[in-house]
Amino acid sequence: MKLSYSFSTAIAGLKTNKRRSMLTILGIVIGITSIILVMSLGAGAQDLILGQIKSIGAKTIAIIPGREPKGPTDIVASFADSLKQREFDALERKVNVPHLAKIMPIVFSSEAIANGSETYRATVFGATDLFTSLYNVYPAQGRVFTEEEIRGYAPVAIIGSKVRTQLFGDSDAIGQNIRIKGNNVRVIGVFGGQGQVSFVNFDEMVLMPYTTTQRTIMGIKHFNRLIAEADSEENVKTTVDDITATLRSLHNISDPTKDDFFIQTQAEALSTVGTITNALTLFLAAIAAISLVVGGVGIMNIMLVSVTERTREIGLRKAIGATEKEILTQFLMEAVTLTGVGGIVGVLLGGSLSFLASIILTHQLGRVWLFSLPISSIVLGIGVSAVIGLVFGIYPARQASKKSPMEALRYE
Amino acid sequence: MPLIEVQNVTKVYPGEGVVTTALNGVSFTINAGEFVAIMGPSGSGKSTLLHILGFLDRHTDGIYRFEGKTIDDYSSIDIARVRNKKMGFVFQAFNLLPRTSVLENVKLPLLYSDIPESRWNAMALEAINTVGLEHRVQHEPAQLSGGEKQRVAIARALVNDPALIFADEPTGNLDSKSGQMVMNALQKLNEEHGHTIILITHETQTAEHAQRIIRIRDGMVEGDEKVAHRRVATMEFVK
Repeated sequence: MKLSYSFSTAIAGLKTNKRRSMLTILGIVIGITSIILVMSLGAGAQDLILGQIKSIGAKTIAIIPGREPKGPTDIVASFADSLKQREFDALERKVNVPHLAKIMPIVFSSEAIANGSETYRATVFGATDLFTSLYNVYPAQGRVFTEEEIRGYAPVAIIGSKVRTQLFGDSDAIGQNIRIKGNNVRVIGVFGGQGQVSFVNFDEMVLMPYTTTQRTIMGIKHFNRLIAEADSEENVKTTVDDITATLRSLHNISDPTKDDFFIQTQAEALSTVGTITNALTLFLAAIAAISLVVGGVGIMNIMLVSVTERTREIGLRKAIGATEKEILTQFLMEAVTLTGVGGIVGVLLGGSLSFLASIILTHQLGRVWLFSLPISSIVLGIGVSAVIGLVFGIYPARQASKKSPMEALRYE
Repeated sequence: MPLIEVQNVTKVYPGEGVVTTALNGVSFTINAGEFVAIMGPSGSGKSTLLHILGFLDRHTDGIYRFEGKTIDDYSSIDIARVRNKKMGFVFQAFNLLPRTSVLENVKLPLLYSDIPESRWNAMALEAINTVGLEHRVQHEPAQLSGGEKQRVAIARALVNDPALIFADEPTGNLDSKSGQMVMNALQKLNEEHGHTIILITHETQTAEHAQRIIRIRDGMVEGDEKVAHRRVATMEFVK
């Protein structure tokens, strides 16, 4: 018998028991829907996070004090003060790092910000004006501090929109004084509702000159980060090597495992985040896959019932010339058709739910959450469900093929 | 060469402690073109005999040749092919596929044949015409009377133009009027189309529609004679 005909025979067999067929595939539909949803949302989340990292710019290099953490239990705190003005000056020299275009120190600390009786805890970032161009976020009102203000330890700040609302309500904040650790700081700018950009929440932060933050607010001599920019994307690698060499010679380090700093580039961050989100997606998809196994057992169960019910049909088919193989093919085809349809419905349902989720997430996050339905997930979803049909259909189909044609002749 | 040659065939069912002998040395021959009734009360072994003749079961001892070959000459796939091409079955319980049209039911044996699909419809329609159901082609079994169902089953049995048609109590579930129509169809197939027909029944009246009656009792042939006053089913199909 031709395969196309055994397919239409299978369809006819399933149609005679429509409601049962539909209930049977429910398990598969749910399983595939969850897998598609997880994979699609995983891809969307990855797009979003990677997009955030990319927004920092491919030329950006972060120099972080301390040893690069090797695992979750590793102690990162060692050498936390290894980057100071001396290192900054050394890196800024063209002889040491020729392809370095810009470099900026960053310090940060969580502080209570006060205006009269109102206080609010926010992260104070100390940086240069490069900070705003790096993240491409500029004050909605007011201005960024100047070179002179940085050099002069000026007590000025740009505050996030949430900080402004908490401390000033609806009234104008520009020109007003706030208090941070007993110091009067003048507000010169306010960020609009930017939300999270990369790893910085612009709504709940205060940006100040690094000089003021480091000495007046935090009272430290080191920096928390040095952010550098290479003059072109091609020179990022060379620049990283030059920075490493400069800092090692400055700190008399000959053994690379004893480095008291480490360097992150966008390419590295991209691959790290990619690995993490992929692992998470796979993990969640694996959990969803358990429901597929449950669905498969359901298919097997119903197929066994169906084989028993259709003993006489099977017997008749054999009496009029069907071979065991043809009966096996027919019932296997029914199982695969069931799960295949379940797979297609699951892909459609999962895809639509993910699309809906992308609309809601875009609305909720105030950020574009791209709907993505990877082809691989569609192929995987339908493929996996067909395989489940084969695996769980083979036993009932064998039972059917072994039935004796004499049973059709026996009248009950 | 006779179409069917049965020599001293026995069938023993080994049970748990109890051994049942269904057939105890049965012998007869049937030639092509004959219309033979195998008659006996229930438990006589006539159904077992049908299973063996139809290659649905294997006998324990003796020789059974169909067209000169025994079941052991064929592989299990070949046996299925022989049943498909050379034998047709009509059952007491009709055994039509529910929610499937008359046309599709009649086509069923063709699915398992090597006849090209392009000819299936024409062959099925011809068989349906033979039993006078051309006005019921697209009906489903639930919409048919018992007599019509059995005629669909006959059409299905003859669609592949088999040499031999087995009819196992074909009128057992029918009223006498419908039974007459079914017997009429079988007689027509035998006389006008030359099919060999083996009719299994327990009723003398039904058996007398055949040319010859083989009587079975307790697994043995009790009598084998020509029907002296053959009944002719006169009831034509009501269209």
